[in-house]
Amino acid sequence: MEAQRTDDDPRPIDPNTGKPIGPLAQPGYYQGYRTLDQRKFWDAKTREVVLERVHKVPQFRYFDDRQAALLTAICERVLPQADRDADHKIPIAPQIDKRLYEDRHDGYRYEEMPPDREAFPMALRAIDDMAQAHYGRGFLELRMSEQDELLRSLHDGKPIAGHDVWERMPPHRFWLLLVQDCAEAYYAHPWAWDEIGFGGPAYPRAYMRLERGEPEPWEKEEKRYEWAPPPGSQSGRYEPVGGQSEHHATPGQGGTH
Amino acid sequence: MKNSPLLGKFRKPDGEPHMLGAMQRLTGSMRKYSEQDEVDYVVVGVGAGGGVLTQRLSRAGFRVVAFDAGPFWDTERDWVSDESGSHKLYWTQKRVTGGTHPLAFGSNNSGQGVGGSTVHWASFTPRLHPSDFQIHTLDGVGVDWPISYSDLKPYYELMELELPVSGPAYFPWGDPHGYAFGPHPMGGVGNALIKGCTNLGIEVSAGGPVAILEGSRADRPHCIYRGFCIQGCKVGAKASTLITHVPDAIRSGAEIRANCMVARVNLGRDGRVRGVTYFDEEGREHTQKARAVVISGYSIETPRLLLNSACPGFENGLANSSDCVGRYLMAQAGNVVLGRFGEPVRMYKAPPAHALTEAFYETDPKRDFARGFAVQTVGPLPIAFAKQMMVAKGAWGWGLRRVMMDYNHWAGFGFLGEILPHAENRVQLADETDGFGLPVAKVTFGLGDNDKKLTDFGVKKTMEIMSAAGAEEVVQEQRYAHLVGAARMGKDPRTSVVDQFGRTHDIPNLFICDGSIMPTQGSANPGLTIMALAARIADYLITQGADIFTSNERSDRISAIRRELAPPDTWGHGMPRIEAPVQPVSS
Repeated sequence: MEAQRTDDDPRPIDPNTGKPIGPLAQPGYYQGYRTLDQRKFWDAKTREVVLERVHKVPQFRYFDDRQAALLTAICERVLPQADRDADHKIPIAPQIDKRLYEDRHDGYRYEEMPPDREAFPMALRAIDDMAQAHYGRGFLELRMSEQDELLRSLHDGKPIAGHDVWERMPPHRFWLLLVQDCAEAYYAHPWAWDEIGFGGPAYPRAYMRLERGEPEPWEKEEKRYEWAPPPGSQSGRYEPVGGQSEHHATPGQGGTH
Repeated sequence: MKNSPLLGKFRKPDGEPHMLGAMQRLTGSMRKYSEQDEVDYVVVGVGAGGGVLTQRLSRAGFRVVAFDAGPFWDTERDWVSDESGSHKLYWTQKRVTGGTHPLAFGSNNSGQGVGGSTVHWASFTPRLHPSDFQIHTLDGVGVDWPISYSDLKPYYELMELELPVSGPAYFPWGDPHGYAFGPHPMGGVGNALIKGCTNLGIEVSAGGPVAILEGSRADRPHCIYRGFCIQGCKVGAKASTLITHVPDAIRSGAEIRANCMVARVNLGRDGRVRGVTYFDEEGREHTQKARAVVISGYSIETPRLLLNSACPGFENGLANSSDCVGRYLMAQAGNVVLGRFGEPVRMYKAPPAHALTEAFYETDPKRDFARGFAVQTVGPLPIAFAKQMMVAKGAWGWGLRRVMMDYNHWAGFGFLGEILPHAENRVQLADETDGFGLPVAKVTFGLGDNDKKLTDFGVKKTMEIMSAAGAEEVVQEQRYAHLVGAARMGKDPRTSVVDQFGRTHDIPNLFICDGSIMPTQGSANPGLTIMALAARIADYLITQGADIFTSNERSDRISAIRRELAPPDTWGHGMPRIEAPVQPVSS
């Protein structure tokens, strides 16, 4: 039976019953939809790239064990997956490690930021130090709500404890770097496409139904369910990223037009 | 696999020739010049400008080597229908960005590889308006162009056929005109824009102008509406100079030297350039002699190359006696406005670019700013959308998971606002260097008062349109789109880098042919204008002939437009003959 629920239960809840949701093989409103089932209709190169992402999780090579554990815990708060079962968790920290190991970046660096390869180790150290300073324990030993509170202070641009790293690196800039790296890893994965009902690769077969959000024959209609973030979490609300004064504007990162 | 689609293949392209889209094969061999050869032209960068120019010069019989820092793409082997797997299409080398409103680069606006940014443009291809060429005269802001709309109009018309551009039979703004290639069907986002505009009484255009084929033509198939335009069109339906002009350039004798990074332009004692020094794929240094050099590296790499080519007599950068190299860099305010609808939209289908309004393009004396803006459809795929929500809603954690589960309910509009040229918005050299030891670009960008007022008004208007379309929630993300300027053209050598033909004021056989020469930007996507300018510059160079290589005299003589230089595929594919411009129907 269901164990006694506490504020430390990381799973989202059904707001009507208060019961936790999951872990599930496939969260989201498109139950039974699997982009990977369509892979024979993808071109060979795309299939190769996407399947490698699914089947070859990179080993940590850039971060040491302690850093890797810390980054993994942080990623679990930035893009929580407690509603996913153990077989369907999407690797995020290993993809960040791979990017930094290969020294890949987006083609620019804000002048007040160090290179990405320095920013991450600096921030990991600062986050752990802040946890010690504020809670008297390392980040890994914090409760979920405390981890969220600490990270939220970076989102807000007001670090919960002072640290010299944030004098050399604006916290909101690192925050955006971190969130977009997590989003890049998670939403590149076909299981995330299943979760959100995204059609995935469509060459050479094509899409046929462009209007009114109608699904292709191989896509699924949406079947919504209600859910709420775990009560102990602080990441369910929408508040502007801090530090966005006139002189620290935060332009978007991705190209759309 | 037995069953196979009309276009492309589900299996590996083993043993296939070099593919440019699903049907076009790169056949025949490419001419190779040796370092000892003194070619007529070296072109640096094969994007919108360099691609068209190289094709024209080769077709006219000149000996051309065109360099690109990135690969010569085989679209079947190299490209994927995948957001995360497409980063190599963008210029991802180091750049430093700062100022009060720092610009993002990479996937935002910077290409690498043959085709340049046209490989990953959404391919909206509106023309500039006649007013764009004289905003200082009309509005007292910015600067006038050294040419007028009528100088460029025949080149716009020709480029619209060469790419070609699909669009409505009647496009009502600027110089009203129609498109010979038919418009695209609407996707969910286009329908939202039409509905929102119509409800507010705002004129709107649908189905283009966009450089994507709505029907197959020669060896290029029709669009399959898969939505991965800015990840590189594997189909070959979306135009890029890689598939529209480079094949004809190679057939006409040009050499495309890919994966070669030009380090500097070399100046002779006679004050004329003699060629370029470059690094090949293995990092070995070479030189290529040429009788004239054209830089087509776009608004960051073109000024960077000129600044890195500083030499005795040009200590502040080659062709920089005006101190304008790197200055007057522009990007358009490109805020993304996102609206959540009760019913699904599925904005990943259809080309991101398929409907727009230019109803707010011109200066309106009732507003408290000069110039205007356009509103266009966009279609961010999941990763781009997640990053937009990170900024627009401050989403992270469970909030990000939740809004992403609603991805299929959101539609996106791209605001495109004219930002005026400012001398202090500029490209300089940073202290740090790239893998070749070359100083990288440091970019400083900020907004002026008019820019801020225009953006505030325009974003608000764009959000109103989204609400009027029926969106229940409307948010926006601040962004900048496109790049132009940083080596602007003008009549006065003291305040501009090149003349109306891209010829540097300082050096008679050094030219610039890309978006960096644009003195202002309007609120039109710059691609078509860059190509039209390139075709016009080509006509000038061809008219001047060998004088470019031997004479320091500057002539303004240019022939009538040379339509015969268009790639042969341009003609004879069921295209109607439109002799006279379409005139608006009087009511």
